[in-house]
Amino acid sequence: MHVQEAKPNWGRRALDFVNAIESAKTSAGVISQFGKMIGDLGFHAYIMAGIPAPGQSLAQLTVANGWPREWFELYNRENLSAVDPVPRYCFNTLNPFEWKEAPYDRVRDKPAHLVMTRARDFRFHEGYCIPIHYDDATGAISLAGERPDLDPETKGALHLTSVFTHGRLRALIKGSTGARTERRLSKIEAEILRWAAHGKTAWETSRILAISERNVRWHLEEAQRKLMTKNKTATVAIAIVNREIVL
Amino acid sequence: MPEIHVIQKENRYLYEHYFDRYFRLRHDIYVKGRKWMALDRPDGLEKDQFDTHESVYLFCLDNSQLIGAMRAVPTVLPNLMSDIFPYLSIDGPVRRRDVYELSRIFVIPERRGEHAGPRIEMLLLTAIMEYGINIGLSGFSIVLESWWLPRFLRVGWKAHPLGLPQMIDGMSVLAVLVDCEEETWKSLCSQIGATRPILTWRGLDRLDRQLLPEICVPPPASRRRR
Repeated sequence: MHVQEAKPNWGRRALDFVNAIESAKTSAGVISQFGKMIGDLGFHAYIMAGIPAPGQSLAQLTVANGWPREWFELYNRENLSAVDPVPRYCFNTLNPFEWKEAPYDRVRDKPAHLVMTRARDFRFHEGYCIPIHYDDATGAISLAGERPDLDPETKGALHLTSVFTHGRLRALIKGSTGARTERRLSKIEAEILRWAAHGKTAWETSRILAISERNVRWHLEEAQRKLMTKNKTATVAIAIVNREIVL
Repeated sequence: MPEIHVIQKENRYLYEHYFDRYFRLRHDIYVKGRKWMALDRPDGLEKDQFDTHESVYLFCLDNSQLIGAMRAVPTVLPNLMSDIFPYLSIDGPVRRRDVYELSRIFVIPERRGEHAGPRIEMLLLTAIMEYGINIGLSGFSIVLESWWLPRFLRVGWKAHPLGLPQMIDGMSVLAVLVDCEEETWKSLCSQIGATRPILTWRGLDRLDRQLLPEICVPPPASRRRR
């Protein structure tokens, strides 16, 4: 009699996976569990990154890189994200999609077709992509394999594990470099800007903080340089928006 | 700064005049905008069986204008997960006295993604955590469109999936349970620059409320330094 293999319960496995990575303490631990999970579903490569705007490189927006080194270098060197139909399609959909659903004109859009063809050299035959939409940025988690398992249930499992892995990695990266990683101003610069926001002149601030006026001006210029602004008003505005100062 | 008001059966009479506008906004956003056609009604109000006497609402008011809202329903009463989407949770719908289900979380289109001041969405996410701590909840269940999930995780909400995402009417949807914790609330407060609790409890003075933890904000090191 033919014995049928028990079908794995991907729902339960995905929930267990999320539990496990929530308690993982290092990025390396999370990444190795993720690699194993997607490997069992037929994927051998992945990337998690923000989608570069013109002038940005993929490398600087990468959260996790599970691509073969050669492909990652080639992709960056030739700036393929600008012509790749997969990241492009992320701007048009809220739902995850298979690579083959990302539309492009095979005849006229040669560069797009070329990316998809060259990817095959790295055994990227099929793929699944999960767009990430924030208010101020769009990113994606993209998985590649030769003959991956893509039925509705496994897609759900991939979606869930990918989004939680991405979230966990971001949290671990943020924690490891300190919660103030995005803060660019020094304490004294922030303080001087806070007084400026309250309408104090450089001279008044110098009296309040008991430092020289020259010193105050120097810190203001330093803050301006760091925030890449043109004058004091703009510096204060940007510092508030970035929450580097709280009024 | 916009205010977040708690509205429940005890003080609803103070806010009754906002409700017509509220249900119309929901119709604009969910039926006209997101095309949840199952919710369509001829009167142009989006109102369902979970808008009851026991539902709690957070209204975000800016100069008396309703600009965002959220609904919370005790999970011991009928709710979206128990009555409509039970299959989204592998172990069955959450039904606990200390868990409320959140739904209809929205910000009007004109006020989305603002950069001046805290985002309205962040205010609502902070406010509901504060509400939960105040009334002694341990968590919130939510049936949500999956694309929201990374946004929740990014602000530091601890969300646990209850089942796999599934396609429903062309949209990926899933169920999660979010921890209601002081740590999360404090971190949200620091993200939006709040130095004190943000909820307004008009007409609810007699309600029993748990104490909130202190928010530690470094005071502006000031003129007293020397």
